[in-house]
Amino acid sequence: MNLTQELELFPDHTVTQMLFKEVKNAAELRQSAVDGRINGALINPTMLVNPFQVLVAANKAVHLQLIGKMKTRSLNSEIIFNLSPTNNISEAFKRFGTSDGDESVMLVVVHCKNESQLLEDIAAQVDGRQVPVEDVSWLSDLAKIRKLFKVAPQEETCGTLLDAVVCRMAIKDVM
Amino acid sequence: MAVQQPDSLTPSATVPQFLRGAELVKQGAEARVYRTQFLGRPTIVKERFSKRYRHVALDEKLTRRRTVQEVRSILRCRRAGIPAPAVYFVDYTSHCIFLEEILRSSTVRDHIASTQQSELEQLAQQVGQILAKMHDEDVIHGDLTTSNMLLRRSPEDRGSDLVLIDFGLSYISALPEDKGVDLYVLEKAFLSTHPHTEALFQKLLKSYSASSKKSSAVLKKLDEVRLRGRKRSMVG
Repeated sequence: MNLTQELELFPDHTVTQMLFKEVKNAAELRQSAVDGRINGALINPTMLVNPFQVLVAANKAVHLQLIGKMKTRSLNSEIIFNLSPTNNISEAFKRFGTSDGDESVMLVVVHCKNESQLLEDIAAQVDGRQVPVEDVSWLSDLAKIRKLFKVAPQEETCGTLLDAVVCRMAIKDVM
Repeated sequence: MAVQQPDSLTPSATVPQFLRGAELVKQGAEARVYRTQFLGRPTIVKERFSKRYRHVALDEKLTRRRTVQEVRSILRCRRAGIPAPAVYFVDYTSHCIFLEEILRSSTVRDHIASTQQSELEQLAQQVGQILAKMHDEDVIHGDLTTSNMLLRRSPEDRGSDLVLIDFGLSYISALPEDKGVDLYVLEKAFLSTHPHTEALFQKLLKSYSASSKKSSAVLKKLDEVRLRGRKRSMVG
């Protein structure tokens, strides 16, 4: 159901992803996140191709936090920002963060190794049905993603859309 | 809530520390290449190390510039449909690039060394084509050798495709002169590594010529460069 990955570079940090459908309280959740009452990043899963890109975003966020070079104010907002191909923060939140009317939500929590209680508590705040994280590929709006990331058909001849997205996420600060 | 790192580990030392557990694949003049798992995927980490003989500030600037150029060129190539490893993460503090590991591949160098020349025609054609495409994108590789090209076997065994690697010395240029020098570097490397392959290289150039829209100017420059000697761009 959940997908958990320990960050190899930062062994005390583990990333857990949880996917929910038929979410009824997206607006409330978003407000809780803004107020800091949910210690997790709330992401719009239709903009995700694969859970791997969330790991890439989280890894970069933790790295930047540790060297004091985050562009946003918290680890969770930094994860959302890293998902975006541009350096415009508000645009990133708008497109990749959960919006009020959203029916599906990807919840991402960065935590220490065994924090099942914490995860359960956070998940309990979502009024929706939890589904396997791998299902996110069924929710992807590929056309929108290709357009936003400006991925031309020729690029997909030498790699997957996921590769194209992850490359841009990794390199955007120097492009 | 930031989880604290142990005091002995400064933030910029996390990657080098991590690499101590990774498999060292190659030690070059400028960088070490490791194989490891990253975020659950087989990954290559390219670590550019400091050159002690350089002045500290210059070393930092130069190393950073090389790292940046490398990742920019990779993205530029991929956008044009030229296979290059995907970039997963760049740590500018330790100058490490985390790249997709190209599995089921061998260097073109190893392939040529272990294959009959008569069976290398298709390879020469593929190389010519991919270089033409790269130069048409105005990407100059800067270090073209048969060790910097990978031949990747496809899973269903439907032939193989080429993947370019090691863009550390790459830059953007539209000048035929720079493209000519790029090819010249390859020619020298090719002929010295693989003796008696002049005919094969000619086939490569022929394929380049047929695939690139701007090839005649480049090949003309290649002839000029050959006449005048090694790696010298007379521009600037």
